[in-house]
Amino acid sequence: MKKTIQIPLGSQHISLLEPIRFKFECENETIIGVDADVGFVHRGVELACTRSFEFKQVGYVVARVCGLCAITHSLAYTLAAEKLLGYVANDRIKYLRMLMVELDRIHSHLLCLAHTAENAGFEALFMQIMGDRELVMEVQEAISGNRVQFDYICIGGVNRDLTSELCDLVRKNLMILSEKVEVLIGLFDNNWSLSLKYKGIGVLSLEDAYTYNALGPLARASGLATDVRAETSDFPYEALGYTMIVESTGDIHARNFVRLREIVNSIAMCRNIVDNLPMGEIQEKVKGKPKGEEIVRIEAPRGELFYLVRGNGANILERVRIKTPTFSGIPAMMEVFKGSQYADAPAILASFDPCMSCTAK
Amino acid sequence: MKFFTTFRKKSPWILHYNAGSCNGCDIEILAALGPKFDLERFGVINTGNPKQSDIFLVTGPVTYRSRERLVELYTQIPEPKVVVAVGSCTSTGGVFRGMYNTEDGIDRYIPVDVYVAGCASSPQLIIDGLVTALEILETKSKAIEKPFKLFGAIETIGNKLSRLNMARKVDNDEN
Repeated sequence: MKKTIQIPLGSQHISLLEPIRFKFECENETIIGVDADVGFVHRGVELACTRSFEFKQVGYVVARVCGLCAITHSLAYTLAAEKLLGYVANDRIKYLRMLMVELDRIHSHLLCLAHTAENAGFEALFMQIMGDRELVMEVQEAISGNRVQFDYICIGGVNRDLTSELCDLVRKNLMILSEKVEVLIGLFDNNWSLSLKYKGIGVLSLEDAYTYNALGPLARASGLATDVRAETSDFPYEALGYTMIVESTGDIHARNFVRLREIVNSIAMCRNIVDNLPMGEIQEKVKGKPKGEEIVRIEAPRGELFYLVRGNGANILERVRIKTPTFSGIPAMMEVFKGSQYADAPAILASFDPCMSCTAK
Repeated sequence: MKFFTTFRKKSPWILHYNAGSCNGCDIEILAALGPKFDLERFGVINTGNPKQSDIFLVTGPVTYRSRERLVELYTQIPEPKVVVAVGSCTSTGGVFRGMYNTEDGIDRYIPVDVYVAGCASSPQLIIDGLVTALEILETKSKAIEKPFKLFGAIETIGNKLSRLNMARKVDNDEN
């Protein structure tokens, strides 16, 4: 008699925002084997960037790789292109770009927390966090003109300026948000029914995180101190109060807590940016065509985002290579599923914050 | 059947499928279901089951691998059903038009009732599209519930008996 049963999850499922298919091999309720299929949303963005779009347009095309971390995609590409063109942005442009990246990180983390809560069965908590998230979305819409796909960054600067009224709005909304995040931190730490679903479930050990090359909040929750913001010097993160947040337990609770504390850190950084915004031009003309090869790493909300851009002096690039954080995180994810209960699988999956559009491109 | 019509109008359930979009419209649908925009005041609940849904929300240009699943999900939704294409790339292909693995919009595969523009569509536009979809759903349910007789002419096409016209719908008003 066959001892194990196979349960599929996906490609269309209520707990999934995007199509991904898992084949769980279960023994009673325990998962003993996982098989993942991630290529449902492959569109061919990389090839299109080197065929049909000019290098000035590519920044807006790669933003459509992923809606959640669109700004990090366009920022990484723009940095690579600017390095090829020999252009160094002034401080105001750097600060404005950082502001949008950190706001994006806040809303992405809040969405992940909400989605994890929904998948674990806490519908009211989902609604509460989605309500808090609208504060950040309001700020993003006011600054860039769009809620999600804000084509804010262009080669040579940013497309819109931050006026003093907008600064006031940022300060006001972030103050309300920081109070709400404090409430959430208390809730996630002390609530008994949340702890049943989160604490000790979906544990990724430090050795596994190291072996399977986990990135971002997934690695930091296991105690692996890796963050591109601390490793690169493209942006003055240290000067604006960046601290690396590391937890040790590696379960869903630790991942949630890394995200919550990163939100607090990002709010502090956004306030510092708005308070110490230097003067200068927001957009400068950049001449020339990209020639050579450049590598850029940016910390997306989910981990390290890697871009390779190669040009040969023509209007159309030769190669654009995108390596996204979820792609690197898949082996670690598969490891976490083994040994956990099938009923916890949607919550564990959401706690990784997987981005299939990024992975499949 | 009138019994169901009332509830279908008051609580249309939606099925959401991502056919290769960038997540932008998906999170906006999620935001529209959230407390600020509150799509649930129209009785809308996001279900994962096509057999219980009335409105099919699709995002993304259809990718090569998702097209079979798209058509499969569409056929599993019971009549009457309304398809809403959310986002520019769902309607026309958008920025992904001409990429080698995409199919330039969902209307190549399934009939679309409402197109929602925008990259990414804002929750206000999505709500507007869904309200339009509700009206279409109502007219579709009325049309489907009109009684009809099996009444048609017997034809022969090329020496063979054709049954095409036998089960034609006949309006009661004609009699």
